[in-house]
Amino acid sequence: MKRILLIALIILVPFVLLDLFFGGHGEFPWSGIPGFFALFGLIGCVAIILISKWLGHHWLQHKEDYYERNDGDR
Amino acid sequence: MTGSLPPAIIFILGAIVLPLLPRRSRSAGYLVFPLLAFIILVNLNAGTNLTVPFLNYEMVLLRVDRLSLAFGYVFIIMAFLGGIYGFHLKDTGQQVAALLYAGSSLGVIFAGDLLTLFIFWEIMAVSSVCLIWSRRTPKSTRAGMRYIIVHLFGGSVLLAGILWHQAETGSMLFNLFEGGTASYLILFGFSLNAAVPPLHAWLSDAYPEGTVTGSIYLSAFTTKVAVYALARGFAGFEPLIWVGTIMAIYGVVFAVLENDIRRLLAYHIISQVGYMVAAVGIGTEMAINGATAHAFAHILYKGLLFMGAGAVLHATGRSKLTEMGGLARAMPLVLGLYMVGAFSISGFPLFSGFVSKSMVVYAAELNRMDVIVLLLNLAAVGTFLHTGLKLPYFTWFGPQRSLKPAPIPRGMYAGMALTAGLCFAIGVYPAMLYNILPFPVTYQPYTATHVIETMQLLIFTGFGFWLLVGKLGGESTVTLDTDWFYRRPSRLAYNLFVLSLSRLFDVVERITMRIVRSLAMVSANPAGSLIQTTRSVRCALAGEEQPESKPFNPNRYRFPFGVMVLMVLLFLVVFTVWSLINLRQ
Repeated sequence: MKRILLIALIILVPFVLLDLFFGGHGEFPWSGIPGFFALFGLIGCVAIILISKWLGHHWLQHKEDYYERNDGDR
Repeated sequence: MTGSLPPAIIFILGAIVLPLLPRRSRSAGYLVFPLLAFIILVNLNAGTNLTVPFLNYEMVLLRVDRLSLAFGYVFIIMAFLGGIYGFHLKDTGQQVAALLYAGSSLGVIFAGDLLTLFIFWEIMAVSSVCLIWSRRTPKSTRAGMRYIIVHLFGGSVLLAGILWHQAETGSMLFNLFEGGTASYLILFGFSLNAAVPPLHAWLSDAYPEGTVTGSIYLSAFTTKVAVYALARGFAGFEPLIWVGTIMAIYGVVFAVLENDIRRLLAYHIISQVGYMVAAVGIGTEMAINGATAHAFAHILYKGLLFMGAGAVLHATGRSKLTEMGGLARAMPLVLGLYMVGAFSISGFPLFSGFVSKSMVVYAAELNRMDVIVLLLNLAAVGTFLHTGLKLPYFTWFGPQRSLKPAPIPRGMYAGMALTAGLCFAIGVYPAMLYNILPFPVTYQPYTATHVIETMQLLIFTGFGFWLLVGKLGGESTVTLDTDWFYRRPSRLAYNLFVLSLSRLFDVVERITMRIVRSLAMVSANPAGSLIQTTRSVRCALAGEEQPESKPFNPNRYRFPFGVMVLMVLLFLVVFTVWSLINLRQ
């Protein structure tokens, strides 16, 4: 876990530098933030996984025979 | 002559001719028809029209412009690639269904009036369900049945809208709709085929149940025909922007929960079509270009992804993440080709999704829709997470299950390789795609900022996956979706309309029989039955045990024969006396 974050941080550095050179045309609220899309990707990815899994476990996911059980007499 | 021949006709002729060919040459014969249609398509000029009188009505079988041409190209290409991938097939039924399906899709694309559109629309539904039923498992039969019922319902709503529209405007031409109830009905029909939630569940329900080759056609045609229809009829209809964006996220969320690889990919069709629907909603030239380009690229890479998943299914007979793993050594080529599709759908630079998806996002950027831009980027994160990381990781790497995959036909490899080549070619040389779009393109995808942002987004999605890979393994569950509303209550409907009705009939029948029996008893011997009834009532009142109930015997309480004779005699006497009195007067 710590190792992954460390590697991520190391890779983030060149991207932030690149952003400082090429990015930031000031069109959007996030245009000035170097490394914005890196953070967005990481946080978005984690959020998608956690929220979807939460929805699934608390509501949407059921045993595989969920529908078949009810089709028994057909 | 070929200047105004509808390409759909070639495919429909093909569907008739193919079964007449010798059995061994049918796979090769199949490929001839897409080639012929392609030649015809190349010779079609924008602006061509072909009207055919039908009863007292003019059907516009062919209306060619740049929008329909772009969709026409990719449909024919995909029909051809699917034929190569399915070259090993010995199932004429599937090949005929595929030809009809591709043909009717082209029919819709080039239809200039709503009646023609509707006819081809329904042929699409019927021919596509054959590709699901061809798998011949109980599960696919039931899924196909649900699929066709939903589509026939959507088709009926569409027809209602078309007729209403005709009554209101007096025109059946298929152009931009003005609004009003009729056009909302038509919009409903289109949205159902585009798999717009909550009308989308047929897709994730049925596509994974199709045959290995059938699902490739399925993933290509129906939804993209609907995107075309929306782009033609509802460009700039603003609610579609949000609808499309929600679609894009919706598919991603459900893909997290999926265990079946083809169902996971099916949810990503919904997600990707969401980009196109949003672009149609934005409706600017840039956006319509984006929708068309994304549809074009999507058909190819999604076909490739389904080909990869199909190859795994073909080789192992399995399609669930929980039952697979460690296939990389056995199927390295399939993995490699699948990854081209995965990089394309994720929008990696040099792959087709990068040059098409970014057009849609750019169209939103131009209109300063900040939230939409962010949400579409979030959907891109989810796309890479599932199709690019989770699915390949748990299929080809992940836990070893020592599977022994069967060899894969060479045609499958060829089909995948050609499709992968196209995905890559479009990514490297986008002008190839941009030149056939409806409007002139000035957009340049390969700018330093765009490439850097995309790489940040994707690489750090990878880190997110790495962090949480332990949570992401497949779970052998079924995910409830809006199909719940017609699957679960089916039990209720069955109880209400079948079971309870048959119970009611049962009760009525028993009551009727009882009434008939007692009527028969009474009329056989009124006096006797009266005696028996009084007796049993008296017993009941006295609280005594009922005398054992023997079957009613009408002769038991019969009057003796003499009583009968006496009564006749008495009657005669009375009658005589009465006659005599009358005579005297």
